[in-house]
Amino acid sequence: MSFLGKLDRLVYATGFDRIMFMKVEPLTYRWTPLLVLASLVAGYVVMAKAEMAHFPSSRFFVGWALFYGAYLVTAFLRVFGPRFIGTNSRPLDERELMVKARAYAISGVAITGFTMLGCAYMAIASAGLWTLWAPRTPNDWIALALGIQALAMLLPTWIASWIEPRLTADHDD
Amino acid sequence: MANLYNRIAVFRAERGVSRRELAEAVDVNNQTIGYLERGDYKPSLELAMKISAYFGVPIELIFSFQPFEPVADTLRRAAAAGDQPQ
Repeated sequence: MSFLGKLDRLVYATGFDRIMFMKVEPLTYRWTPLLVLASLVAGYVVMAKAEMAHFPSSRFFVGWALFYGAYLVTAFLRVFGPRFIGTNSRPLDERELMVKARAYAISGVAITGFTMLGCAYMAIASAGLWTLWAPRTPNDWIALALGIQALAMLLPTWIASWIEPRLTADHDD
Repeated sequence: MANLYNRIAVFRAERGVSRRELAEAVDVNNQTIGYLERGDYKPSLELAMKISAYFGVPIELIFSFQPFEPVADTLRRAAAAGDQPQ
């Protein structure tokens, strides 16, 4: 068997084709996103505090692992959670389009509110009224941007998981 | 918002049609048929009409704002009226 043929067989053996072609039934994640969100926030705080104290430190890497681990999990939840992207063989139907539209609309409002509150906080912090923490280092800013991106991926999945009814247990097919 | 009742499952069972077959016929995913049958999702007019066209019956025989009479009651009533179904 040729090398390409072996690679092809590997794809089917690992079940990767089921993910690629969306043959798996989407799952709902009603509570996992809360854990992921908490890990993102905790990881960011630990990284930022460790950076202020002494860099590089083992505490910084604990925060780094927590933050980027949660970031990675966000991507997985997006793949295995409610479907937002159809495929040629299985396009989104009217119910899935409705769930997607509602999930994105609600998360859009939430992210806008979060960003506005964040900007207000930064304004107060940069005015120097109190000794408030604000992002300073490149890592602070990059992690903040990635955190917002993770939130934008996580929120629609989380909201759609609550909008989606529980999967029908009595499969007859 | 008013409840929308349906008897897709009854029609499906009567015709021996699986969820997947019905889903493919009306261009939705088979989970959507499951949610419809459980009353967890209200279909668009287009989908409701596609389903009624698939079974070849008027839309009001499948969808209703009033709960449908149980099949057993319908059969009992028909039997009492001397109109025993074949």
